[in-house]
Amino acid sequence: MNKEELTAMVAEILQGLGREPAVKAADYRNTAPEPSKTDCGYADGDFVPDVTALDLRKLYLVDAPADGEKFKKMKLKTPARLGCGKAGPRYKTLTMLRFRADHAAAQDAVFSEVDTEFAKENDLLPTKTRCDSKDEYLTRPDLGRCFDEHNAKAIAGVIDTPPRVQLVVGDGLSSAAITANAMDCLAAIRDGLKLKGIDTGKAIFVKYCRVGAGDAIGDITGCELVCMLVGERPGLVTDKSMSAYITYKPRTGVSESSRTVVSNIHAQGTPAVEAGAYVAELIDTILKRKVSGVGLHLEEAK
Amino acid sequence: MSEKLTSVGLDVGTTSTQMILSELEIENRAGSFAVPELSIEGRRILYRSPVHFTPLLGQDRVDARALRMIVDAEYAAAGITKAQVDTGAIIITGETSRKENARAVLEALSDYAGDFVVATAGPDLESVLAAKGAGAVAYSEQSGKTVLHMDIGGGTSNLSLIQDGKIMSTSCLNIGGRLVKISPEGQLTYVSPVLDGIFPKHPGDYVNQAEIRQLAETLAQVLEMAAGLREKTQLLTALTTEGIATPACALARNDSTDFVISFSGGVADCIETEHPWLAFGDMGPELGQAIRCGRLCRGNYRLGAETIRATVIGAGCHSAQLSGSTVFHQNMAFPLKDLPVVRRPEQLAQLDSPGVLALEGPPRPGYRGIQTLAEALAGVFGDSPVLIAAEQDMAKALGQALALRLGRDAPILCIDRVRLTEGSYLDVGTPLGPAFPVVVKTLILNT
Repeated sequence: MNKEELTAMVAEILQGLGREPAVKAADYRNTAPEPSKTDCGYADGDFVPDVTALDLRKLYLVDAPADGEKFKKMKLKTPARLGCGKAGPRYKTLTMLRFRADHAAAQDAVFSEVDTEFAKENDLLPTKTRCDSKDEYLTRPDLGRCFDEHNAKAIAGVIDTPPRVQLVVGDGLSSAAITANAMDCLAAIRDGLKLKGIDTGKAIFVKYCRVGAGDAIGDITGCELVCMLVGERPGLVTDKSMSAYITYKPRTGVSESSRTVVSNIHAQGTPAVEAGAYVAELIDTILKRKVSGVGLHLEEAK
Repeated sequence: MSEKLTSVGLDVGTTSTQMILSELEIENRAGSFAVPELSIEGRRILYRSPVHFTPLLGQDRVDARALRMIVDAEYAAAGITKAQVDTGAIIITGETSRKENARAVLEALSDYAGDFVVATAGPDLESVLAAKGAGAVAYSEQSGKTVLHMDIGGGTSNLSLIQDGKIMSTSCLNIGGRLVKISPEGQLTYVSPVLDGIFPKHPGDYVNQAEIRQLAETLAQVLEMAAGLREKTQLLTALTTEGIATPACALARNDSTDFVISFSGGVADCIETEHPWLAFGDMGPELGQAIRCGRLCRGNYRLGAETIRATVIGAGCHSAQLSGSTVFHQNMAFPLKDLPVVRRPEQLAQLDSPGVLALEGPPRPGYRGIQTLAEALAGVFGDSPVLIAAEQDMAKALGQALALRLGRDAPILCIDRVRLTEGSYLDVGTPLGPAFPVVVKTLILNT
């Protein structure tokens, strides 16, 4: 590719990006509004084909407000269900339906499973904890932290020399979060580690996964560090939030305080790719300091 | 985490020179379990200097040596040394900035404030700093009102239109209290060249209060035009500083309770307080009264929380901002100063010195998006260091992707959450934990 072509390509990319509302350094909040070109587009009494498509930050339902415009400006800063108005002593129908829809999405994120093809398509080693169903997963946390002999052998068979860093993707409590964020984040982590001269081998996908499953993987592989991307318990704001749990010397029985966590990885929080780049640097720091979790904070405070 | 930055502000204006020392408190706003998010959470003024007259040699040259002595004395009075200062701004403003030796003055002083101080003289930046320093931006943010802020100094008036705490536009007019100087006997000792064709008197002529009042009323009317409260005439164009577009302030309307005009600068102190017309040997008192009796004060108006010190407080407390807290840098030495900003890659080749490429988007790019961007950008910097400032949160990932392509020896700096416009300049200080203090300058002195 010559210089002119490159220049043209960059110009094309930059033009295609479109103008988004500027977020200044100091103004940034994790709850930055999801940029949308249009207003919420809802007027009282409209037929709404999909209640979840309305932007909660723009949905203002109070009848005859004293100063609705100002309330709307404040409302842009939070996805909380404020300014909902009321019908007698109750919510309006739209508010009620949206609440139930978001609640249903959160439950779905927990109860649905990551596509069976996900691991294969993304070149992950597919494994499963001792749980056999979502119900068992939810009622028996202990079983979500360990593997049966078959799965343990599968892991040991593929990862035969102890790696420095073992990357793991677990469905956890939100399959939606993993589908939406895990692979982007994982790729950025790999790049960041490569830059630090740390190679990462095959990553493992764990079905019915609790964070503690990483310790079992540590037992099996003998790795120095586990970084697990896992779906967070969904809420009513997003069902796609993911966390990265990093444990130095992961072995069954390590204390929870020895884990370093980066949470709120989703489109409206920290973007998956940027979070991945950050996690890679964090892993490098942890490997150098040989400690994670609270110990790392204490070490850095020195 | 809580860190402190010591910031100094020095304002060398047409009339007065002032210094403040302040402490900026940096805090991580994110929780312990999230990606850090540093921001400036507190600003505390530790020391305010008295208001000095700007030392001049003749009418149009700043006396650099005398100025240095003032600064020496103020550092001593504030009890700080050069090494203790982390950031801040020296700003040479108003008519003084156009004086031929302004750059020499900046150079004489620039060693003064640690290794990260912006030396600048752009009227745009001055408007922004004055509006922030006067508290007009904070007032607009808290009240939700639209504020037209006017900082009326000795030689210039800096206007900012602020909506919801955001500065929408700025402009600068050649209107100030010291466009004429008058001896205690009423003899003119100085008439600014900008008054050519507006004021028929010359140095040496005697004037009376009525004549000065008439001039003041003419100038106050021009401010009313800038505020959109009066039909525009060519006087507005004539008095608008060269190179600055006619203000968008025209969209301001004084008929709404949501619109407020606010004032700072030395002349602001002459609006609600009447002084004898020769109290300061200039037209400040008359200009203040002309403003008070005119259309600007007919609607809602307020004086800034700071008046004569607004610009210096802006320079000391509000010139630095922080980049996003996930950034990327390798093989770079800081601070970096006066980096020209471009928005299109092909413009980089036209610069004599390394430039910063400002990227607007895309918002929340995926991994593939970052790779494509890095692939395209890897070649455009040639032998110069790769300098990128993105608005969206992606600097660390983009920097890593570039480093993988250009190698670990390539000099690369990627920061984000900074908004830069074409033609501005960027200073980048030494990193503060995971973030960089940056100063965006909208204009610097023409060399």
